[in-house]
Amino acid sequence: MLTLNNIEVIYSNVILVLKGVSLTVAPGAVVALLGANGAGKTTALKAMSGLLRTELGEVTDGSIEFEGTRIDHKDPEAIVRMGMVQVMEGRPLFEQLTVEENIRVGAYSRNDTAAIRSDMEAVYHYFPNLARMKHRVSGYLSGGERQMLVMGRGLMARPKLMLLDEPSLGLSPTLVKEIFKIIQQINEEKHTSILVVEQNAFIALSISDHAYVMENGRIVLDGPSAKLKENEDIKEFYLGLSQVGKRKSYKEVKHYRRRKRWLS
Amino acid sequence: MIEFLQHSITGLMIGSLYALVAAGIVLVYKSTHVVSLAHGQLVAFGALFFWLFLGGLGLPFWVGLIPAFILTALLGLAIERVALRPLIGQPLLAAFLMTFAIFISLEGVFVLYLKGETRTLPHFLPEGNLVLSGISVPINQLIGFCVALLLFGLVSLIFKYTKLGLGMRATAEDHRLAQSAGIVVKNIFSYIWILSGVVAAIAGIATANVMDIYYMLPYIGINGLIVAICGGLDSLIGALIVGLLLGLVENVGAAYLDPLVGGGIKDVAGYAVLLLVLLIRPYGLFGLVKIERI
Repeated sequence: MLTLNNIEVIYSNVILVLKGVSLTVAPGAVVALLGANGAGKTTALKAMSGLLRTELGEVTDGSIEFEGTRIDHKDPEAIVRMGMVQVMEGRPLFEQLTVEENIRVGAYSRNDTAAIRSDMEAVYHYFPNLARMKHRVSGYLSGGERQMLVMGRGLMARPKLMLLDEPSLGLSPTLVKEIFKIIQQINEEKHTSILVVEQNAFIALSISDHAYVMENGRIVLDGPSAKLKENEDIKEFYLGLSQVGKRKSYKEVKHYRRRKRWLS
Repeated sequence: MIEFLQHSITGLMIGSLYALVAAGIVLVYKSTHVVSLAHGQLVAFGALFFWLFLGGLGLPFWVGLIPAFILTALLGLAIERVALRPLIGQPLLAAFLMTFAIFISLEGVFVLYLKGETRTLPHFLPEGNLVLSGISVPINQLIGFCVALLLFGLVSLIFKYTKLGLGMRATAEDHRLAQSAGIVVKNIFSYIWILSGVVAAIAGIATANVMDIYYMLPYIGINGLIVAICGGLDSLIGALIVGLLLGLVENVGAAYLDPLVGGGIKDVAGYAVLLLVLLIRPYGLFGLVKIERI
């Protein structure tokens, strides 16, 4: 459904951020993209959704295809219309608008009034909290409510693929669980494919089918999530499970960092 | 007392014109964050277009209104497309200066056409005065006043309840976020300039209703700018209230202070109000209060 072919991204013509990233999202799949800060995860998402160009970034090499069409030079609003929605990091809202207006803005690219109304009901069904504060000015919502609202707004565009940028950022463990349960629910009920960027590797690996690990603008590891969960490096660096008490030698440290060739 | 009320009423009538002019500036600023100096020219051209159809071609006024609206809206659209769209993403100061350049260029056209003469609109509204317990109000000014109030109501309703209005409000808050929600921000800019053009035409016609069309007419934009800034630049209700207030202060001030200082209060009043408001509330009286989470 979505394919990144060896893309390279340069900001302001000088800063090379992505150095050849390839990635695939299959229809109906949940894919996780893991990595440390500054690895280039968000840049990769922005490259897909077209928002990159609003901040002087550019895809200089490789191609991005969505359902068979090249989208690496399309405007963000055109990409939304094609069915790919990015839920940005930091949960930006239209703060002066009410909760309901925020949700309505999400459906701006559509004209089918009846379907919009039923989709709105669906959003309130997924996030009952939002239904209770429909008419509240959204700038005063709490972090968890904001996350629900931005996801609800994203859903209103009837996306075939949703890009979620760090949905767990700054939320309590219970809330994180709840949010990810809803993500899974959306994936199963609406058959929306999901690409989720996360720091919380444990929960991201639990709900995803496939995962990629990025470091320094490159994909360094990928595979089925269940398998990655068992990977020693992932266990140590992303899940925090180390073999306490044993001596470690240099050759055990992040073996993929020492690899000469990049296979992925 | 009657004298005071009379001056106040006359002031409010003039004030509604300032409010109308300011409304166009506020509309543009709200969505694009560009303070348009060119708006006074849009107002003047709105009046001129109306005169062309009314005085020039002799059409009945309700027929003349429509082409005047369309032409002014097109002028607004042309300003956006030709001059401002290439500047999207550039510093706002560049766009601001561009609107100044547009003001100067359009003024050239305006003066060239008028050649120093004045044009007077034929009387197209009912004449006469409405006298109410000693206070007389010219009927044509009263109609202008009511139109101004109606227009503010209408624009507010568009903003609040239509899909286009929702898009405009969303765009006003965050261009990038609006894009990511599927709003074509450039189209919103076009619509806003069209709307601003129509509002300018109404303001121009209402102004030409009470004064002649001559080379100083575009400078009513300066009064509009004062009103818009005092009102908070992004607040329609602020523009309305401050506009009425400015008319009031000008007129009442001139009536009572002019004999003492020998005239000229009318020209100074606006700036005195601006100075005061900016000293006390730099963001204007009704400026948007940014929501901050504590």
